[in-house]
Amino acid sequence: MSSSSISINWTPMIVGFVAGLISRLFSLKTGTTHYPGYPSGYISQLALAVIAAMIGSSVLIALIGKQFTAATFLTLAATQFRDVRNTERQTLAQEEKLILVSRGPGYIEGIAITYEARNYLAMLVALLTSAITMVGGLVIGVIGAVIVVIIGEIFMSGQHLGDIVDVEPAKIWFDKGSLLYVGDVMMMEVGLPHPRERYEKEGLGVVLTPKNERGQAVLWNISQRQAISYEAAAAVGVQKDVGYPEQTPLCRMAMPAGTGKAGLSILPVDHDMNKLIRAIKRTPVLESSKWNRMTSPVLNRKEM
Amino acid sequence: MAVAPTPVMFAIVTTRKDSVSGGMAPIFIAEDDQERERIAMWLTRITNAIVHDLHNGTLVLTVNQES
Repeated sequence: MSSSSISINWTPMIVGFVAGLISRLFSLKTGTTHYPGYPSGYISQLALAVIAAMIGSSVLIALIGKQFTAATFLTLAATQFRDVRNTERQTLAQEEKLILVSRGPGYIEGIAITYEARNYLAMLVALLTSAITMVGGLVIGVIGAVIVVIIGEIFMSGQHLGDIVDVEPAKIWFDKGSLLYVGDVMMMEVGLPHPRERYEKEGLGVVLTPKNERGQAVLWNISQRQAISYEAAAAVGVQKDVGYPEQTPLCRMAMPAGTGKAGLSILPVDHDMNKLIRAIKRTPVLESSKWNRMTSPVLNRKEM
Repeated sequence: MAVAPTPVMFAIVTTRKDSVSGGMAPIFIAEDDQERERIAMWLTRITNAIVHDLHNGTLVLTVNQES
């Protein structure tokens, strides 16, 4: 153990640094958000991960070496990570205008918050691991690092839509000549005959039935449903371009009955129902939709 | 995309001239159903407007206003 600032025990710092970096790298797969989708994005995230792990692992060393100025500076550096969220949000919001099926503001916010939190998590993991290593030595430190990283992963992995909502294939049909239905959910009005034929021939439809109250609350969130549409379109593709508004994938609630069910209609490029259902089930549950419980018409009606 | 878009009436295409009048949107009068659908199709491709069928011989085109 270092008693002065001259002889430094590097082990806790190194173990902490590696653990923090690994914890960040684990989550840097492109995964369901399709972001970052380009090499430069990875580089900037990697650089941030190195800095975060570095800060987390060196704070304790600085404190023990009685380098309070250094420790203060490190906490100051940690606050710089607030900007990560803004950067991510801006990038994704810019992209929003350029893609045919948008992610929706809720999804963007979710991704941005996750990116910010991931860096803080890397910092915390590095800090905890360096503390464990300092107390218990190298071997216990490495074991502790593994445990801390795993706990961090469990803590950070949010729910997926498949956990709280049932997704089943449903037939696409037209009522009154022009109202597009998926199962018993009315989606939209398609006024032109050609798109109607296309939908009947090539369209895919699924009905989303909530398994519990939480599922209902989540589905009532518009941003959540936009995220579902985005994931569906990303998985099976969508026959759409500028000038074809009726071929946009939609996710709508069963109205006016308000049963809490939702339907999704899409004109896919890849006509694969299993792929579509898998993608919808893997859609992350947005943080913002957790708070919609109170505004859900169905849930409030039950309380009456 | 605006999460809750506000549709604005953009154009009206009809075969029954007497069933619509006035307003801010131009009215296109078609000879028959086929021509009505063709005009509506052109307009939607050109302007990205959405076609709605009122089932009384009239098609309505709306655009979603940027909020």
